[in-house]
Amino acid sequence: MSRFYYYLILINMIANIIASVPVILIQYRKNGVILSMILGIIVGLIIVYLITNFFNSYPGKSLPDLLKATMPKWFNIFFTFVLIGVWFFAGLITLITFTILLIHFLAPEMTHLMGTLLIVFFMAFGCFMKADKVLYTVEIIFVLTLPMLLFIFFKAYTNEQMEWDYVKVAITYINTMPRFLPFMSSVFLFLGVLNLVIFNQFFTTKQSIGWKQITFIGILGTVVLFTTYFIPIGFNGFENIESIMYPWVSTSDSMRIRYGFIERVVFVFLLFYLAISCISLLIHWHVVVELLKSIFNFNKLKIKNVKITPFIVIIAFITITAITVILIDELQIYYFTTYYYLHFAISVPSLLIVMWMIKRRLKNAKKT
Amino acid sequence: MFKDTIEWITQQIDSSNEFIKKTLEIDKKLSFIYFINSLVDSEMIQKIIIKPFFELPSDDHFEAYLLSLPQQTNFKTNEDILANLLSGCVLIAIKDKFLLVDLKKSHVDQVQPINIEPTILGSQFSLSEDLQTNINIIRNYYQQPNLTVETSTIGKINKQQYALVYDREKIKKDVLKKLKKRLSEIDKQLIQTPAQLINYINNKGKWTSYFPTTLLTERSDRIIYNLAGGKIVVMMEGSPNAIIAPAVFFDFLVTMEDNYHSFWISTFLRSLRYVGLVICILLPGLYVAVSSYSPEVLRVELALTIAGSRVGVPYPPFIEVLFMLFFMELLVEASIRLPKAMSATATTVGGLILGQAATEAALTSNIMIIIISAVAISTFVIPINEMSFAVRTVRLVLIIFSTIFGLAGLVLATIGLIMYLVNLTSFGEPYLRLYNYRRKENEGTL
Repeated sequence: MSRFYYYLILINMIANIIASVPVILIQYRKNGVILSMILGIIVGLIIVYLITNFFNSYPGKSLPDLLKATMPKWFNIFFTFVLIGVWFFAGLITLITFTILLIHFLAPEMTHLMGTLLIVFFMAFGCFMKADKVLYTVEIIFVLTLPMLLFIFFKAYTNEQMEWDYVKVAITYINTMPRFLPFMSSVFLFLGVLNLVIFNQFFTTKQSIGWKQITFIGILGTVVLFTTYFIPIGFNGFENIESIMYPWVSTSDSMRIRYGFIERVVFVFLLFYLAISCISLLIHWHVVVELLKSIFNFNKLKIKNVKITPFIVIIAFITITAITVILIDELQIYYFTTYYYLHFAISVPSLLIVMWMIKRRLKNAKKT
Repeated sequence: MFKDTIEWITQQIDSSNEFIKKTLEIDKKLSFIYFINSLVDSEMIQKIIIKPFFELPSDDHFEAYLLSLPQQTNFKTNEDILANLLSGCVLIAIKDKFLLVDLKKSHVDQVQPINIEPTILGSQFSLSEDLQTNINIIRNYYQQPNLTVETSTIGKINKQQYALVYDREKIKKDVLKKLKKRLSEIDKQLIQTPAQLINYINNKGKWTSYFPTTLLTERSDRIIYNLAGGKIVVMMEGSPNAIIAPAVFFDFLVTMEDNYHSFWISTFLRSLRYVGLVICILLPGLYVAVSSYSPEVLRVELALTIAGSRVGVPYPPFIEVLFMLFFMELLVEASIRLPKAMSATATTVGGLILGQAATEAALTSNIMIIIISAVAISTFVIPINEMSFAVRTVRLVLIIFSTIFGLAGLVLATIGLIMYLVNLTSFGEPYLRLYNYRRKENEGTL
């Protein structure tokens, strides 16, 4: 597979450390989180395999293209709107969660609205770039930030504050029955692959996915999930972690770089995660824009030869985000996120069914 | 026809008393020569035209001799004749027939020493101001039959000659097509230098072009290096600079010396340059954001040092930074414009103001001076001048964002800058990307 494919998956995995995944997992730490995670990894890998395999058989084609070729029009519009909703909320959740976090810990003088608008302002223009440009941006920012994040994780693993006994205690709960919410949130780690819905346009050459690639993604996912769940427990204690809203911020705040310009790791962590959340947002909203393009003709509305549809979309993005930020608070966004994770139990299977139908119809079309 | 042409030409050139007509006549031989005496080499006329005329037995011999000269040029219309006369040809009328011989005199074909992009190990001479000499240099250094030179003129009034030089096996056809299209679309009266031409062949408008998407160089080794890499070189009469297109972001941070040093040394120098780039873009913004919004980010000792150094400075950090940057830019600009003899004075005076006096008068902090000097030095590390001009101004945008939004603003503006750079194209080539994803595919098709 192309390295850009791995970026799509990896960014979704890493970006979730900052989102609500660790909190959800930690809440269920006595009620079957270990088995849920293991099941989640297996199911996640199956989804990754199925979706990649499907898109590999149509190189250079995005899902809207395939839908247009095979499905009736009313269904296309309905289904695309559902997808737009899913991806828009993915971006929105990342955005709001991270803004709240940023304002809490780094810029307390900023209002929530201003912080969000600042991020949206940059990203809304960014998501109108072409797919290849989005991926180049993602690559550059990812390559710039990853070494620092790896350094932080390395520091976390080697830190003397890290109590492996707590981790051992956590592992003893392996005999509890798996639950649905932690299972879905571990599956969500692997759902970066869904971005292929649009980004498959970019992969015009035939790619291959086999045991090697799946194993690689599986190892990555396991390591990220392990880090997400166990490191905060090791730092904060198995019992006490219950009261912490942002386990990873607290964890990174308990580390220090003794000889650096910046002593407290938490600031490095937050600033680099700002970049990671931004590219995650960029990817998600780029998908939204492309899906919108497949329904509406963006070249139609013009004033003095300037296309105004993009601006309408940007204004819509900004307004929806601004209203949400004003109305919602921290606890609500947490519940909202859990519902969002849960809804994949319906949307991913239905997406797979639609894909299966497309495949069958294209095969039949070839035969006749 | 014979007379008409001469009359028409005299009419066109008219009042100029530089237009010379000479009659050569002896025995039965008769010939006329016409030329503009300020443009041609009169010694050469004497040697190549007049002397053989008197030595050769007949008109036929003389004509055959002229036709065999390498300087003899072809023409079709009267306009051609006029244009050639104006560029330094001699018109010879013999037996009802016209012949043109190119005997141009040029004072600018000396190769100049390099003064914009000096290196220690590379060649010490750049190009000359004469197009033919430059093409000669390139042909000498790049001996490939595939090397193609296409000359043409640009600018409606001054009809400046330019040459497109490229290796036709290696270039991408689309890029050449795009470049030619843009060159043909230029509708300007006067174009004198390649630097001016760049403004017109950039695909962007006047207000939206910011980072250079073509490279301007005076180094012949850089030109050869880029020709071999499949790029197109545009050279112009009257300028020792050449345009290289397409150019991507990383091209602007390459010096020719990278190829001359050993691997580790050039890797070190290259990373030094990238660190310099990051410093000169981010450091002023970082200072503003950290000292006015979140001093807790830094380790305590450092935060205290900065705060201690700022004691007595009567205004917020962003004014301090803008104030110092403003003076530094003034100093840079002044030392470019001033004659060499005076620029030493400017730097001394400026250095004194910016250095000791400003801190003692508590107008800026000591740390600010260090930051500004670091920024100034690292700006000069960027090897291509156009890029360092672009970088010098782009940091102001970052300062504005970090003034309003603090560290988050700085990070976001940097991401915005990266997105802007990625979004640029240079003649269809992506401007900024880490590694060419489709390189293997393209190699097959070329």
